[in-house]
This record gives sequence, C-alpha cells and structure tokens, in this order.
Amino acid sequence: MINFDNTAPVKLKGAGSGLWITIDPSHPESEIIAEIDRLFEKIKHLAINVDIVLDTGDVGGQEELVDRIKSHLKSNFELGTISTSPKKRSIPTERRRQRDLSRGWNHHKSDVLMLRGRVRSGQKINAGKHLVITGDVNPGAELTAGGDIIVLGTLAGKVHAGYPKNDGAMIFSLVFNPSLVKIGLITATGASEPGTQGPEFACVEQGIVVVKNYMKENPFKRMPWPEVI
Amino acid sequence: MEGKIIVVTSGKGGVGKTTATSSIGAALALEGKRVAIVDMDIGLRNLDVVMGLENRIVFNIVDVVQGRCKIDQAAIRDRRIENLFLIPASQSDNKNVLTSTGVERIAKELRKKFDYVIMDSPAGIERGFENAIISANEAVVVCTPDVSAVRDADRVIGLLYARSLEPKLIVNRIEPVRVERGEMLSHEDVLEILSIDLAGLVPMDEKVLISSNTGTPLVLQNDSTAGQAFRRIAKRLNGEKIPIEIPNRKTSVWSKLSKTFGLR
Repeated sequence: MINFDNTAPVKLKGAGSGLWITIDPSHPESEIIAEIDRLFEKIKHLAINVDIVLDTGDVGGQEELVDRIKSHLKSNFELGTISTSPKKRSIPTERRRQRDLSRGWNHHKSDVLMLRGRVRSGQKINAGKHLVITGDVNPGAELTAGGDIIVLGTLAGKVHAGYPKNDGAMIFSLVFNPSLVKIGLITATGASEPGTQGPEFACVEQGIVVVKNYMKENPFKRMPWPEVI
Repeated sequence: MEGKIIVVTSGKGGVGKTTATSSIGAALALEGKRVAIVDMDIGLRNLDVVMGLENRIVFNIVDVVQGRCKIDQAAIRDRRIENLFLIPASQSDNKNVLTSTGVERIAKELRKKFDYVIMDSPAGIERGFENAIISANEAVVVCTPDVSAVRDADRVIGLLYARSLEPKLIVNRIEPVRVERGEMLSHEDVLEILSIDLAGLVPMDEKVLISSNTGTPLVLQNDSTAGQAFRRIAKRLNGEKIPIEIPNRKTSVWSKLSKTFGLR
C-alpha cells in the first residue's frame, strides 16, 4: 500500500496453498538470493513441498535472473513446483495513467468507510477496507480496518490497520497518541511520552511498527501520480 | 405543563453525582420550582444522608414502582427549602428489582406533579443506569478532571447520545492551583475530549464534605464556592443565560498589589 522508496529485495506472501515471491530486480542478485535464503530459513519446514510463484513485479525482461533464482530454489530447498507469475491482466501502466489523467477514478467504486465526528470511549468501528475519520478518536475507542486508517484529528485508543494480516497498511493522524497500534499481525504499545507535534503515521518496517513525522517522511511524496487504492 | 426529568450521571463512582443532584435540586427549589429528587441508586442509597432526611424514610422508590404506596407517601418534604422533595432509594433491594416499564410509568406521574425531577443515577452503565435514563428529558454528566473519570464520562456520553439525549457537562472538583502547576487536567482539557455543552464548573471546596456529613444543603451556604457554582448551574438548567465562571486561584489584595509593583 505504501510506496516506500526503499522496497525490500524480496517479498514473501501466501497465495492460495502456495507462496508468492516478489523480487525487485533493481537490487543486486546476490542480495536477492541472500534474502530468499534468509526468508526460507525463517519459515523452515512450512515451505516443504509448497508450490512457488516467482514474480518480478512490473519489471519485464528478467527471464535469466528468474531462471537462476529458480534453479537456486530447486537445489537448496525441498519445494513443490516453481512457476513464474502469469501475465497480468491489468491494463498497462500507460493506459492507466491516461485514465487517471482523464479522471478515470470517477468511475471507481470506493471501499472506504468515511465517518465524521467524535469516536467515544467504548465505541468500536470496523471497516472492511480503508477507514477515514474526520474528527477525534478518544481514549477507550477501538478502530479496525482491513486497509489504512486515516484520522483527521487526535487519535487515541486502540487501532488496528491491515486486519487481519496486511502489514503494508498504514495509520495516519494529525495528533498521533494511540494506546495500542496493530498493523497486520504486528503489535506495538502506545508511547508513554507524547509524540512530536504535528501529523504522524505508523507503518511496518523490518518487522516492527515505526511512527514517523508525516511532513518530513511523507511516504507518498515520490509517487508521481495519484493512484486509486 | 408537564415537568422535566433531568438525570445526573457519570459512569465513574465518587465524582460527585449525589452532591450535584442534591445541590441542583435544592437550587432549583430555591428558584421557586417544585422539585423532586429521586435516588435511583437502589441498594446503595446516599441522597437521604446528604440531604439530612435519613430519619424520615418510610417508603422508597421501589415501593412506589411496585405499587405498595403512592408517590406522595414516599416523597419526603425538606423542611428547610420549600418545594423540595426526596424520593429515596431502597437500601435492601438490588438494582434489578425495577423494570424499565415500571420506572417509565412512575416517571410519567412524577412529571405531572413536579416542575423538575432530578434523578441520581448509580455509577456504572448497567441496569441501574438504564433505569435512571429511560425517562429522562435531559442529562447532566458529572466528571472530575481525572483521566479515568473523563474516559468513563466519555463512554456514558456515547450511551446517552444513543438514547437521543444531549448531555451537559459539569466539571467538578477543579483545583486551580494544581491545574496551574500542571498536576491536574484543566477544564479545557476535559472539554477537548468530551466536547459537549458545559453546564458549569465547580471548584474543589472542603465545605462539600462538611455539608454532606451534616446533611445541610450546600447551596444555602453563601461562603461555599461549590454551592454557589451549583446555584449558577441550576439557573442555567432552568433556562437562564449566565456566563460560565472559571474557578480561579484565590489571590489576596497584598499579593495582587505586590504583583502590580513587580515585587514578586
């Protein structure tokens, strides 16, 4: 969800009964292989006889690299079938940009739950995808969303973005002061000291929840184009 | 014209609901209104002691709801303030003996007999609280400037909104010196979180304890800052437009003078 400048060389996620490995060919091959070894070492026996899909994202022309990684995987781990990702059916980037330029998102059906007003202690809000609240969230309130959570006000209380296990989700608020933060499966307790003044956001980096100043480290700053999420 | 039922509630216990109920009731009676104060804290009654009427109880609200007596038999007239009545709670029953339909029926009758019915809700958000708010036309939430009291008040405000009641807030036991020192939340901090209309601000006043223990009405004591604050609150609830008075640290003439001349 967040387009960070420094993407991980390898991302591993479950896909049906198998695993989907997304590699970023902009990283050196040795780094990619080392990261794959590290990840498979971590999940150990869970990867035995599991079918693998190798994906290079939007970057094309990486057949040789994919083949080398394929043979590395075959020789080092007891995996099931290893295949490459099927050709994407989505519209090409250029067409998508053309659509965005002509405000194609007008036809996009949004899954965002947008609320305004104060969320009080004891109130629970569940959103299937993204959740936007224009107002304050008081201590004792609970927010859960399948995607991102954006609070245009003070955020206190318990907050869980990316429910149940999307750790790419983010939590943003103008005053960030929650008692408990959860993104996907990763949990962090609230800070005992109030954070810096100004808008902040929380995301997962290297397996832990980090809170950053939004104005200094706006994760969307470098996105060249507005994107429908 | 039918009277109005005002419920005084808080969520948390020990924040001054009973004091607020008795003081607002007494102050409204001093304004010339016919007022009934109803103790809805079944099993843990206190209002009779605070109002100094504990020795005159024959019947209570449970007797009224269950049809063992009439409202007039259970209502105890205060001898110091005209038009002020107390309907006490039962001390031997528990909160589940009252049904919401029974309370609603009695509330209807009370509205016909009195200009104001002030209901003292028990702490918590269970059955007793539900019974206390079921027939209310207005609600007053009492809150002290503590983090826990604010959180409970916030929860109660949410529940009251869900019942289409738009509560007014009383911030009780404000200690300006401690607020100044940053040891206590200010009333602005409390309002920032609760964001509802303010009925009034009540300063910490040691006369409250004396008044509660001796059963004398706080609002009759002219030297009680809390008593005077409750009188202003009652006037606001009665529809008068009175500006909110912010409790200030008491400053003597000498300290003011020395401040003016830059001596301190």
